[in-house]
Amino acid sequence: MNNASDIYLLGIESSCDDTAAAVVHNGAVLSNVVASQEVHRRYGGVVPEVASRAHQLHLIPVVDAALKEAGITSADLSGVAFTRGPGLIGSLIVGVSFAKALALSHQLPLVEVNHMQAHVLAHFAEPPYPAFPFLCLTVSGGHTQIVLVRSQLDMEVLGETLDDAAGEAFDKTGKMLGLDYPAGPLIDRLASQGEARFPFPKPQVEGLNFSFSGLKTSILYFLRDQVQADPDFIQDNLHDICASVQARIVSILLDKLRQAVEQTGIREVAVAGGVSANSGLRRALNALGAEEGWNIYLPKMEYCTDNAAMIAVTGYYKFLAGQFAGQDATPVARWEI
Amino acid sequence: MEYLVARPEELDPVAEALLSWAGERRKFFLYGEIGAGKTTFIQAVCRRLGVREKVTSPTFGLVNEYTYPDQQGREQRAYHLDLYRLTRLEEALDIGIEDYLDDAAYCFVEWPDLIEALAPPEVVRIKLSITGNSSRKILFL
Repeated sequence: MNNASDIYLLGIESSCDDTAAAVVHNGAVLSNVVASQEVHRRYGGVVPEVASRAHQLHLIPVVDAALKEAGITSADLSGVAFTRGPGLIGSLIVGVSFAKALALSHQLPLVEVNHMQAHVLAHFAEPPYPAFPFLCLTVSGGHTQIVLVRSQLDMEVLGETLDDAAGEAFDKTGKMLGLDYPAGPLIDRLASQGEARFPFPKPQVEGLNFSFSGLKTSILYFLRDQVQADPDFIQDNLHDICASVQARIVSILLDKLRQAVEQTGIREVAVAGGVSANSGLRRALNALGAEEGWNIYLPKMEYCTDNAAMIAVTGYYKFLAGQFAGQDATPVARWEI
Repeated sequence: MEYLVARPEELDPVAEALLSWAGERRKFFLYGEIGAGKTTFIQAVCRRLGVREKVTSPTFGLVNEYTYPDQQGREQRAYHLDLYRLTRLEEALDIGIEDYLDDAAYCFVEWPDLIEALAPPEVVRIKLSITGNSSRKILFL
């Protein structure tokens, strides 16, 4: 048996495409496993995309791998944390049911976690930790939010997208350019060899909310007009188009972040979510931070994309606060921070 | 039914017309290229229904759920689906597409081509096309 100050938590994430499990020991990450061809190959079979059935196939191998990598067994666990939402109900149900069954069979406390809160708390997976209060820009394929974080369990959304997420703006631009989905990383690479010489309009959105739908449409019109005049326009200018689109998306994000800093006076600035891998965003953010005197926090990539370490870390803080869930916990598609 | 709108602000009366034209039919498939305004039109329809939450693109999350009060003030659900990322019918079945289509709730589906075979007989098809830099043609079938 572990003593009371020795807390091992298993985290389970199944809110969208990825099935993931992780173990934290007193909040420090011991393992962080996302279902992949590699994990699954050991158990045989293929990896279907985007499916609750895929979560069912992946979950046991992934939990098994996370426990082994952490060097513990399920008997060592102090509790089980799971993503309750927001997400796709059919996918969430798999993780929630598994967590409940495991907790029941080992008589462990359950901790339910908000996926968006967990993206923010990914910053506590490893030092350096941002100091409270801090601002967190969470940018991914499905979300774009600026969150004011007063403590691990006290946060408030200051602004979010009114239509498309920033990651979606990258992916849909890619589609218009004939690139494969998801196009974000490829646009980033192409942009690095281009010049941002095509001006795309900046959306006029009040407050700290975002809009990327108008940008998408203006890119569409721009490409349509240019291709009409020159059928080879896209292939001849691909790098510059990507650089221009990326520069605009980054400037939209950073303008709002700067506005949030001015509004709150907070200079601790963190970025989370899969789009934080974008090199243009990282570069511009570091430059802006240096210029404005902000402390910038960018977690490791494995904690930015959907992962279970952030679920386990969040679970740990809720565990310490005594915020437990019961066996009657149900998944929820929508859940505000 | 065919409508021409010059700018997004003109969508509200079209949304109202759609809901009264559809009557008891609550499954809507929306067609149109990227940027045609599918999500923007669904925002207008949800505004008309009285949806409380922000209506955003479900491209990444696949399904958004919203709530709105009916005439008796009871909370009702509406589903907003986007199959853009999916490539096989099996994937749509795996996310529970049949449950959403069977449910009595309003259900708006963007990029529905993959699930034509599952379309309920009463489905309302909405075709959006770009006619100018902010104008659109909207067709109900």
